[in-house]
Amino acid sequence: MRSNHSLLTGLVLLLLSSAAVALPSIQHWRSAKGAEVYFVATEGLPIVDARLVFTAGSAYDAKQNGVAALTSALLDQGAAGQTTQQIAERLENVGAQLSTASSRDLTTLSFRSLSDEKALASSWAVLQQVLSQPDFPLTDFQREKERTLLSIKRREESPGVLAQLALYREIYGGHPYAKPVRGTSESVAMIERGDLRRFYQRYYVANNLKLILVGGISRQQAEQMVAELLADLPAGEKAMPIAEVAELAEGKNIHVEYPSQQTHLMYGLPVLKHNDADNYALYVGNHILGGSGFSSRIVKEIREERGLAYSAYSYFHPMLQKGPFLLGLQTRNEKLTEAAVAAKKTLLEFVEQGVSEEELVAAKKNISGGFALRLDSNKKLLASVASIVASGVELDYLDRYLDNIDAVSVANIQDAFRRRLVVDKMVMVTVGQIKGDTK
Amino acid sequence: MIKLFNTVFILHVFYSLSAFATAENMPNMVHEKTLKNGLKVLVKEDRRAPVMVSQVWYKVGASYEHDGITGLSHVLEHMMFQGTDNLAPGEFSKIIAANGGRENAFTGADYTAYFQTMEASRLAVSMKLEAERMQRLNLQEKEFVKELQVVMEERRMRTEDKPQSQAYEYFKAIAYTSSPYRNPIIGWMQDLEDMKLQDLAAWYQQWYAPNNATLVVVGDVDAAEVFALAEQHFAAIPRVDFKPLKQRVEVPQLGLRRGIVRQTAKVPYLLMGYKVPVLNSQEDSDDIYALEVLSGILSGGQSARLAANLVRGSQVASSVSAGYDMNARLPTLFLFDGVPVEGGSVEHLETALLEQVALLQQKPVAQAELKRIKAQVIAASVYEKDSNFYQAMQLGLLETVGVGWQKSAEYVAKVQAVSVEQLQAVAKKYLIEDHLTVVYMLPNDKPQKTVESQEYADAQ
Repeated sequence: MRSNHSLLTGLVLLLLSSAAVALPSIQHWRSAKGAEVYFVATEGLPIVDARLVFTAGSAYDAKQNGVAALTSALLDQGAAGQTTQQIAERLENVGAQLSTASSRDLTTLSFRSLSDEKALASSWAVLQQVLSQPDFPLTDFQREKERTLLSIKRREESPGVLAQLALYREIYGGHPYAKPVRGTSESVAMIERGDLRRFYQRYYVANNLKLILVGGISRQQAEQMVAELLADLPAGEKAMPIAEVAELAEGKNIHVEYPSQQTHLMYGLPVLKHNDADNYALYVGNHILGGSGFSSRIVKEIREERGLAYSAYSYFHPMLQKGPFLLGLQTRNEKLTEAAVAAKKTLLEFVEQGVSEEELVAAKKNISGGFALRLDSNKKLLASVASIVASGVELDYLDRYLDNIDAVSVANIQDAFRRRLVVDKMVMVTVGQIKGDTK
Repeated sequence: MIKLFNTVFILHVFYSLSAFATAENMPNMVHEKTLKNGLKVLVKEDRRAPVMVSQVWYKVGASYEHDGITGLSHVLEHMMFQGTDNLAPGEFSKIIAANGGRENAFTGADYTAYFQTMEASRLAVSMKLEAERMQRLNLQEKEFVKELQVVMEERRMRTEDKPQSQAYEYFKAIAYTSSPYRNPIIGWMQDLEDMKLQDLAAWYQQWYAPNNATLVVVGDVDAAEVFALAEQHFAAIPRVDFKPLKQRVEVPQLGLRRGIVRQTAKVPYLLMGYKVPVLNSQEDSDDIYALEVLSGILSGGQSARLAANLVRGSQVASSVSAGYDMNARLPTLFLFDGVPVEGGSVEHLETALLEQVALLQQKPVAQAELKRIKAQVIAASVYEKDSNFYQAMQLGLLETVGVGWQKSAEYVAKVQAVSVEQLQAVAKKYLIEDHLTVVYMLPNDKPQKTVESQEYADAQ
């Protein structure tokens, strides 16, 4: 594939609108015990998608790094007295799908089922049990812990993963974001089954939940389903806010020697929270800098001009606390210096000189013209609404989005980048073979 | 698209949508037209959102290449973005971006495909550009030299520095003798180094022609209008005479093959594959659908046998899966891959997998298991209608590998017809030791340097 990974994760919140596109109508209510519920009725396909978002990511691991991820992995591995096998069979007998995932901020359950009564009644009941009555059986706990430990070991096979972990470690220092979501071999080895139960009881509660439903059902049905789903989930309390991220004291270069043919470079610093006033200016600016694949400056400089990398990109990743700005590429070991210099120069010029009016117009055309593509399936609708909800912006976000993008000026971009992207405080991590014999 | 298991990818993605292409459900109908110059146009109207995807599929890919020129199809795919008579390098992408579009391309063993997803009213933009590069590619030395470096970086990223991917490359080279599937899609590094601009020019001349291509459009479009647009933009492109493709049938395998690949890795890895036929390689398709369902029995979900028995159950595997790509152009492999648990071994995992195979041969699977796989296939065929892109991909792929897009209409019914007796029969017939290849990827004996990080002064 000729893809250039323009990693836009986390910027999904930046949706757009255009005249031709029917914007989803997001219905909102609060469940009896305090969960925030968001529902979009769709037509055309007999599918129901649900996403449950708990503020229960690895930032809440405290001293047990990895406990959030392991807790979410165990939810469907034994619940309400049923075995992992029985749970899987009941879902798969009707073709339903369920998965869980954790990030630094959140834990997410994603569910998909056919909407016909038989399939939905049966799969929804399984979701209810997994959500409200996980058993954390000892055998399953031990197995999943071992599998996590092995996957942590396998991280050492990937210079790209090592680079990202090293960068987070450096730019977040003592903050919980510094730690890997799955934990380390040392921290996971210490986790016990009771820790999962405690984590579950504290964070898997209605007041800490946002539930998004998208599909071919009525509002009445949706309300009924939500009531059933959450009947046994205690109200509990919202998670405490995550600590603020400290400013980086100074820029650094960190090298990790690794026996690979390429050196992976990541360059970044903490910048952006959700719902930040600079979001639009930084998003549109980054679109031009390194967020739009072949049209972006970084790809032009690194790949199109110099043939130094297959993938080169930059992105802002807004989080509950300041998420990172990241610029990344990977190049054959002997070209590292050339690539690093070119990447830095591109970034510096961008911050110092800003963008041209022509570039801005092109970026806006791409963003607004592509708006419809971001809402063209139930799956994308679900992801969009989940992002809006998780980032805490207003529900009319989509309606105002195009105007907000359109309002961004050349001056806004330069101002925002100069204030927020302090280049001499950025950390550059390289993972590869620059010391030994390289080809 | 060069994935370790693009086969597995395809298996999960291409459940047919066409069981629903019935008279009472017209929106899922596929409209077909072939232009005078041989370009086949397929259209599926899906009005849920005001968008469309347009894909051009060429019948050429890594399995069309011979030794010494491996990777040529993929490099040519890269060069298709690097200028034509009327477009400067990169201009194609710039125009698509200005129209709010997303675009890319992918190369497989049996196809090279290009796509744009855009607001539906922009279809003409994409057609005009695709027609341009179908006939007027301007291959330039400067862009070629640079792009070849990019592809080598791609290879280093995807293969050289990914132990499991590299093991898979060696595995295929051991498993196949005369089949072109033995070569990597991205090409061997030496072949990339030896590649010349003239090689690309010849390859482009040989394969890029309307009568070797399929245009697929899915989305908020009107079929008649798509046909008219296709006529307008593509009709003038002359057809090319093709020599029949050499068959290059894999010679029969006459006994178990084994290999060891040592890697700078932390965790061992097992690959196993049995030689099996595909839809395109034989008249009678019953065995093919039975093999397809068999892979589901083993690996179709968390309740399937491999997860149930090897990850849970005996706990010999940390992860394990089976896969079969019934839509390959040439006979392929029924694959297994897995990572043993810590303290376990690839030998134990191999034994456990062979036991699972023996079980399938000795004992009919339970009706409940079979029913569960069928339920998943039906559900998946609905879920996939949520994506225009996959709907288009399925049509383009089936047409390009020679199966014909119409086969997608049979998929669900054929799967539904598979019996437990057939499953047992294909397990006995195809999953036999003489047709098996086993590769162990083992971590290097050399002690690996512990990862140390150190701070250094600025390079600039």
